Amino acid sequence: MSLPRSWRRLSPLFLGIVLACCARTGAAADARPAPAFSLKTRSGGVVASDSLRGKVVLVDFWASWCAPCQRSFPWMGEIAQRYAPRGLVVVAINLDRDRDLADDFLAHHPATFAIAYDPGGKVADAFHVKGMPSTFLIDRDGKLLHDHIGFDTRKAGQLEALIQEACAR
Amino acid sequence: MIVRVRPLALLAILAAALLGGCAATSVKPWDRDLLAQKRMSFDPRPMESAIDEHIYFSKEGSTGGATAGGGGCGCN
Amino acid sequence: MQLSPTRPATALRLRLRAAAAALLAAGAVNAARAETPAARWQFDATGLGYVERSRTVVIEPVARITRLFESGQSLWLQTTLDAMTGASPTGAQPSGRVQTVTSASGTVSTSTANQVPTAPFHDFRGALDLGGVQPLGGIASIAASGHYSREKDYTSRGGTGQFSLDLDRHLITVTVGGSLYRDTVTPVGGIRVPLSDGTSFLPEGALPRRTSEGSAGISRVLSRRWMVSLNGSRTHEEGYLTEPYKIVSLIEGDGTPSPDSLLTEGRPGTRNRNALMASSVYHLTDDVLYASYRYYWDDWGVRSHTLDLKYHEELPLHDYLVPHLRLYTQTRADFFVFGLPQGGAVPRYATSDLRLGPLHSVTLGLTYGFTLPDHPGEFTIRGEYIHQWGDGHPASAIGVQQQLDLFPGEDVYTVTGGYTLRF
Repeated sequence: MSLPRSWRRLSPLFLGIVLACCARTGAAADARPAPAFSLKTRSGGVVASDSLRGKVVLVDFWASWCAPCQRSFPWMGEIAQRYAPRGLVVVAINLDRDRDLADDFLAHHPATFAIAYDPGGKVADAFHVKGMPSTFLIDRDGKLLHDHIGFDTRKAGQLEALIQEACAR
Repeated sequence: MIVRVRPLALLAILAAALLGGCAATSVKPWDRDLLAQKRMSFDPRPMESAIDEHIYFSKEGSTGGATAGGGGCGCN
Repeated sequence: MQLSPTRPATALRLRLRAAAAALLAAGAVNAARAETPAARWQFDATGLGYVERSRTVVIEPVARITRLFESGQSLWLQTTLDAMTGASPTGAQPSGRVQTVTSASGTVSTSTANQVPTAPFHDFRGALDLGGVQPLGGIASIAASGHYSREKDYTSRGGTGQFSLDLDRHLITVTVGGSLYRDTVTPVGGIRVPLSDGTSFLPEGALPRRTSEGSAGISRVLSRRWMVSLNGSRTHEEGYLTEPYKIVSLIEGDGTPSPDSLLTEGRPGTRNRNALMASSVYHLTDDVLYASYRYYWDDWGVRSHTLDLKYHEELPLHDYLVPHLRLYTQTRADFFVFGLPQGGAVPRYATSDLRLGPLHSVTLGLTYGFTLPDHPGEFTIRGEYIHQWGDGHPASAIGVQQQLDLFPGEDVYTVTGGYTLRF
């Protein structure tokens, strides 16, 4: 009982594809400055990166259709509450084209932290967002400490450790 | 009139065409709102398709060509 | 004249296909990606009601339970039941007169003068499938499944595996898969020697049939609205591939089938099948258009084209309609014949099984998907009509055959219900 010859001939082709076209998830920590931004918020005001100097900022890019975003919201709420006294600000930037979809999501997943809107994706572009959701940690000097794509409990644990460290400085 | 092309050669050419332009990022990760919908799938009702495959296999002489996955929200 | 079987058309159902199970595995991958994160279980049920005009009736319920994990892993178990009854063509040619058939148990059936002769059957089949999906590193996943099914004279055992890799920020997905099946045929009353007069039998015992399939596919997101894919598969079958109850008519000089003699059919012991399929899914404002084309060819001489079109129309209350059109055409197998001349040379292989003949088919269907208020489940109901016909007036028709339609049209009506619940 043998596999067809063509099947065996094709496997080097696909191995080649795998090696030639590797995708990368996540990124190593950089010490480069985080991009500046100034966006309208849910409460009608504006959130700008300049005015956040001196704070540790957690920026999260989300959208209503992104399933892992639903799990990340409760966690971000906890983190915002726990570390706000130590100088953490959470800014969740929404990328939905349609504001109604974002509102609908927030009705089901309430947020106590700041929600800003970037429907054209310009700030997401500036941050080089590579996947949804994307989370960035910025220190008090505006430098980018860490970023990752996606949400799971392990990444969340690692991120919390970094937040504690950043807040301690 | 069916043209006889060496099938593997045809497959390799079409596969290369699909993969080509690896560097082209025409769709931003946050532009996948439509792709994230359940109906944006090659097979939105897989159990129905499995039954169809069974029906046509019993009535016809052909088989094969199952679809690959793909698309979706691209979330991690 | 004896046509031994009480159940000749078990032959029709002697096919548990690697393709069906591979599709099941693919379905499991879909489920793992698209679902809300809070759901831990998913229950799916489908029921098929299938009626062929004046022939076969099949009822097929399928139920699957899936356990979903936060990591994206899933495990699933599926059971299938098949109840079939009806009449299936024997391969004998229609003649200008009534043909009487006596089965081994003494059941007599008659066919009217100009119809394709059939024989009655009823059968039950049960199947069990088990599988799982394991994501790898956020960009890949593997899926595997096992299959077991039984009917009275056919057992099938096998498994499938599939590996999927996302490239270029999940815009490209490469999938490779394979499956292996080992089936056993044990027809009631034994297996008659192929291409013989039907009076002698092969030695007692089960006959095996092995199927191995390899498939590969690439899908690519071309724009915010549009994704396409290309898939290929190659299948190798070996073992007992003949239909144990089917015959080939021996035709007299005037074109009528000989009343006293018949020839059992015989097919090669191997078959290599290939398929290439291109698919497209395009999102309009609210609706989605699905189109696919498959080209198939094998070393028995069968070549086919399949075009499948579906249009998902989103309705105001989150329900939807999906009209469906499928067009199919195939060429005949090299050894397909509408009967052989009485007294002529017996070829190496011969079959009159219409499924290996020159045939065309059109399917028209409509699916309606809906939810009920205050109930989280999703329902679908689908009606389909399949019309199949072939070239029943071949140039090789002899005598009275020229006045008969040797491949009359056939109508099939199906109703399929579906239900999905996440909890």
